[in-house]
Amino acid sequence: MSDQELDSIATDLSGKVVKIKKSLLLIVDRSKVHEACERVYRLPGLYHLVTITGMDTGKSILLYYHFWKGKSFTTVSTEVPKSDPRLPSISDSVPAALLYEAEVKDMFGVTFEGNPRMASKLLLPDSYPLGAPPPLTKEADPEKIRKMMELE
Amino acid sequence: MSLKSWARKKSIWVFDVNAASCNGCDIEILDSLTPRYDIERLGVVLVPSPRHADVLLVTGTVNAMMKERLKTIYEQMPEPKKVVAVGACALGGGVYKGCYNVGHGVDKVIPVDLYIPGCPPRPESIIYGIMKLVSGEPPDPKEG
Amino acid sequence: MEYSAENLVPFGPVHPSLKEPEYFRLVLEGEKIVEVTPRIGYVHRGIERAAQDRTWVKNIYLFERICGICSFAHSLAYTEGVESLTEFEIPSRAKYIRLVIAELERIHSHLLWLGLIGYWTGFDSLFMWIWKDREHVLDLLEAITGNRVHKSYSTFGGVRKDLPPGIEAKLMEEMMFIRNRVTYYEQLVKSEETLIARTHGVGKISQETALRLSPVGPLLRCTGIARDIRSEDPYAAYGEIPPVVMTSTAGDIESLLTIRLAEVMDSCRMIVDAIRSMPSGPTKVPFPRIVPAGEAMYHVEAPRGELFYFIHSTGAAKPERVKIRTPTLANLLTAVEMLKGRPLADVPVVLTGMDPCFGCMDRVAVFDVDKSKEWYVTGEQLKKLGIEYYGKRERE
Repeated sequence: MSDQELDSIATDLSGKVVKIKKSLLLIVDRSKVHEACERVYRLPGLYHLVTITGMDTGKSILLYYHFWKGKSFTTVSTEVPKSDPRLPSISDSVPAALLYEAEVKDMFGVTFEGNPRMASKLLLPDSYPLGAPPPLTKEADPEKIRKMMELE
Repeated sequence: MSLKSWARKKSIWVFDVNAASCNGCDIEILDSLTPRYDIERLGVVLVPSPRHADVLLVTGTVNAMMKERLKTIYEQMPEPKKVVAVGACALGGGVYKGCYNVGHGVDKVIPVDLYIPGCPPRPESIIYGIMKLVSGEPPDPKEG
Repeated sequence: MEYSAENLVPFGPVHPSLKEPEYFRLVLEGEKIVEVTPRIGYVHRGIERAAQDRTWVKNIYLFERICGICSFAHSLAYTEGVESLTEFEIPSRAKYIRLVIAELERIHSHLLWLGLIGYWTGFDSLFMWIWKDREHVLDLLEAITGNRVHKSYSTFGGVRKDLPPGIEAKLMEEMMFIRNRVTYYEQLVKSEETLIARTHGVGKISQETALRLSPVGPLLRCTGIARDIRSEDPYAAYGEIPPVVMTSTAGDIESLLTIRLAEVMDSCRMIVDAIRSMPSGPTKVPFPRIVPAGEAMYHVEAPRGELFYFIHSTGAAKPERVKIRTPTLANLLTAVEMLKGRPLADVPVVLTGMDPCFGCMDRVAVFDVDKSKEWYVTGEQLKKLGIEYYGKRERE
């Protein structure tokens, strides 16, 4: 996929395109992420959602949606503040995102509205303490979590 | 030696539990069934249910989800029963020590009779360990 | 959705035949499965979090123990991913050796899988024969790397040590042996009635489903989509020795059998080519202790499919974030699709067919709403059910 197609999506959604070595990164606001992912996914050629990565920057959770098209990665990126970690789910237009969003919810506590798996856990044990911070956030301390789950 | 203990020695029924392991130890246990190592010629049989087993082989780190299930399986086994912890993870957490979801060894959950170290232990070590357990002699770490 | 005479069949989590525990909740209507809800997490160990507490080199040992079957694929993806953050040129000889070990691992993984298919269809002799042949591959891996399973062979800057002298002749001999055996198994798969009945047309998925749900690896290629990371985005020495991408259009378990066996034959060819054209030179270059800051996305073709690593470095001694997406997670939704509409007897073969890196079956509780009775079925009984079901169909 060419730079121009991604540039036009960026202009439409007031986002920014960054080139990192061979891959392209499209940064958008969280209200536009559903449309951005849908448009990137529908671009001609075999678009494949690789996974959704989360990263804790301290005040917010950074989200990367990695797409692959046979030559290079195209990543859609957005940020959600920790005070309000919600995003619309993209699983209605990209069905493969169902489990990846469930994983980010388990690990970071981000809720993807519209994803049917938000109520159940994917990876974390049922006995994961209710008040504890999600395990991959900076506030989570593995030792404390172990004590709460009574693992010696 | 009574007839019962002689018969028990000649035919050991083993049940294997994977309590959150990487599968390496389990594949090596399964390997000991295959023709090159062939633990079946020694009378050891893998059974599908803990209610039929004499010896329980446990691999893996025993994470929070598997802890209760491991206890249930142990209680389902009839007496006399022995437990063998296979691999570095079952011994003390292995390479995952300190992770938020893993326990530090099988002996924190159920009593263990024999430890087989290795990551993963070779099929020869596993066969040696089980044989020593059943014969009652203490194993020699240099030999196993 | 409302179902009449709903039968709930919780499936899992401890397996009698030594694979990882997981849990599948099946809803039956009559005899056919209509809904499958997987609940994974029985093997969740918190590795991504642990990686942030360990140095870059220690993480090699952590990541290769994610899986005991494709452990080299993990260490390869991680080491090459970190190497891509720098401008270092990895020596050619190291790249060729990495290819040899990766292909040996592919052979051992596919043979392991084929043996398990034999076991679940009641073909115990096939299981025993194949696993005996697999020992030859494990011997080779041990001779080269020192360990059968967790090899710790790929490191930053190359491979840990060079090939032992005289191994080239042994490799050629063993590849010949594997090729002969696989030729025999290929004929067996085409002619053995029980295997064909259990796998032909079973778990059929269409190309549309595959494009919608993004599976990876042989599960994607069996629907006719020719995508393989080794040829699309070459790493190690795959640029010089490209693979032949095997596809099929049938989309069922039988096509998975033929594709995987063909991949084993192709792996033998690639290993022979790599040995013949192996360049001389160093196998390792000194690598900086501090990994430069940056973000890397790297993927490799593990035996099960695309394995993806995302590595974020801030220039510190420990990684800031490592995200791993294993191929089985990508294939889970497709495996669920394969089960829908199939009878209960097909469950072991279909779930093994996707080549999961978690196992799935032991205690199955069947609840019949009409009779308000609940009873348990073990994995062994399910295996017998499958054999009886297909045996009855043959006689009719």
